[in-house]
Amino acid sequence: MRLSEALQINQQRVLPNAGNRKIHLVCGFTPLHLETFGLAHAKRRFPAENVNITSGLFGDLEGNLKRAREQPAEGAIVVVEWSDLDDRLGFRAAAGWSSSVLNDILQQVDGKIYRLTQLVSELAGEMPVALIAGTLPLPPLTHLPLVQTSSFELQLRSNLIGFLSRLAVTRGVRLVNDSTLARSSPYPGRHDVRMELHAGFPYTIAHAAAVADLALECLFPAVPKKGLISDLDETLWKGILGDVGVAGLSWCLDGHSQAHALYQQLVASLAESGVLVGIASKNDPDLVSQAFQRSDILLKATQVFPIESNWGAKSESVGRILKAWNIGADSVVFVDDSPMELAEVAERHPGVECLRFPSDDPAGIIELLNQLRARFGKSEIREEDHLRLQSLRSSAELQQSRSAEASADFLSRLNAKITLEYSEAPSDGRAFELVNKTNQFNLNGRRYSESEWQSYFRAPGAFLVTASYEDRFGPLGKIGVLAGRSEPEALLVDMWVMSCRAFSRHIEFQMLERLYKRFEAACIRFSFHPTERNGPLQEFFARFFDAGLGQDGLDLPAAAFVKCRPQLFHQVIESSHE
Amino acid sequence: MNNVDERLAKCFRLVFPNLDADQIPLANAENLSDWDSVAQVNLLSVIGEEFDMDIDFEEFEGATSFAALAGRLREISARA
Repeated sequence: MRLSEALQINQQRVLPNAGNRKIHLVCGFTPLHLETFGLAHAKRRFPAENVNITSGLFGDLEGNLKRAREQPAEGAIVVVEWSDLDDRLGFRAAAGWSSSVLNDILQQVDGKIYRLTQLVSELAGEMPVALIAGTLPLPPLTHLPLVQTSSFELQLRSNLIGFLSRLAVTRGVRLVNDSTLARSSPYPGRHDVRMELHAGFPYTIAHAAAVADLALECLFPAVPKKGLISDLDETLWKGILGDVGVAGLSWCLDGHSQAHALYQQLVASLAESGVLVGIASKNDPDLVSQAFQRSDILLKATQVFPIESNWGAKSESVGRILKAWNIGADSVVFVDDSPMELAEVAERHPGVECLRFPSDDPAGIIELLNQLRARFGKSEIREEDHLRLQSLRSSAELQQSRSAEASADFLSRLNAKITLEYSEAPSDGRAFELVNKTNQFNLNGRRYSESEWQSYFRAPGAFLVTASYEDRFGPLGKIGVLAGRSEPEALLVDMWVMSCRAFSRHIEFQMLERLYKRFEAACIRFSFHPTERNGPLQEFFARFFDAGLGQDGLDLPAAAFVKCRPQLFHQVIESSHE
Repeated sequence: MNNVDERLAKCFRLVFPNLDADQIPLANAENLSDWDSVAQVNLLSVIGEEFDMDIDFEEFEGATSFAALAGRLREISARA
């Protein structure tokens, strides 16, 4: 992005009723173009909101961190450069570079890093923080020729890495990846000495644009894709299975097919992190099954579900996989080496992102791996991520078994156990994630930023209920979240979501059953709002409201609920956390 | 307006969006309250981008009006 483009974006006005999004930019130098680009990138990401970026005072990083903590915001971008650790590591100070000065610098940096660690951690307790540090070169401080690294510089870098390592595992802190920054802003083009000396702003325009872009992406990451559908021949492996047979397939250096090994390795790693992996291949299913039994295959058959190998159109296979996963096409990426197959799938499933496997371009594979990591990467892997695939298989088995039995009889023999956890604190990351990604069984489709989430639970009487489920087909993990407020005149429910993996088990009825009892509520008021995608939730409520659901809000008396709910067979365990 | 003036006016519109088009040629740091040191750096940076040149801040020292900036830019382009 050019500076002129950023200024133009920043002039765009937003509707008066739009929401507000405040972001702190915390640095020790003049924020200048970094603030301009920060605002422009934020406005691009949130075009329907009024975005406001606040910055602090020149040369007072610690004070700026403290002040940011006191002012609620959606997040903070914290930038630490060498001169913030000690003025003498910048270009605006001139206090000598004698060995005694260098020793003193190391001591000062130690103390500074200790204080900054505390301050950044405290800020992250209030709002998400994107941290970026040490992007600029050090001055030539030591007597060594430039080609040689000094012990002094290594100690400084070691201190900085220690600082970043501690904060990398601090809740709420996300570190901007230095390698990713180097791709968009190469090292030699970062420092603008003239601007630093003249205006106290050390970045070139290009570097400011890159830092702002990545910091905002880190602060407000895109929702990761959920599923990857891959082709087999010339994609997952080199060779046409029907022609060369199982033994003729390769994915190794010796077979000049290392690109396929790298791809398998990445797909297996994605599967391990909870990404759904399916196969759509025009192939003989028995041969495919044999190929997946090869001991050297990196992506194991157990990591893949479902495998659609047949001679029909790829788009039909993709359609069946989407149905089995029960997720939207826009959450899915399809990879194939054939442009024709990609086009055919793209035409039938316009939401699916289609990426070509570059079977004829070994360098292109690195770009593909980066693209896949960018789309599927997530900050945290939860227990549910490991359970997802197993629970989908279980659901398929459950649906098959169910079709052979009457529903109530079937459910009574599931040995289903629901664990309900009640709390008043919003520390549950899985609950936050579910509320923000569930579409179908969602009370109103509302999404929450981290600070809105925190602030919701600060209201008097606010509570959170999470539901975990398991039955004889296996555990589903934490699949339901309900949040509301207990007020003297009514019990209010503002959020209610349930994973689509958990449908058809009457978990939603049990959650309400227990809620009425726990709060001794005669009626629950739901902040219901119909959306284009919450059909399953509307279907659930329809059984209680013969006259229709209306557009906003539903009051469901306990008596009406009990009258219309089905018989429930779950074993329920309830616990409370402060 | 000649080419330098038109391109410079474009830079002014970006840095001072509230300034009317007919006021741009008359603008200076005295009559424009938004024209502070930060705006000056922004303006010079946008000029650098528009005219594809590395801005030497000292060369533009004291150039705090549309007319003075246009004059410096014409001098630089004549030297090139």
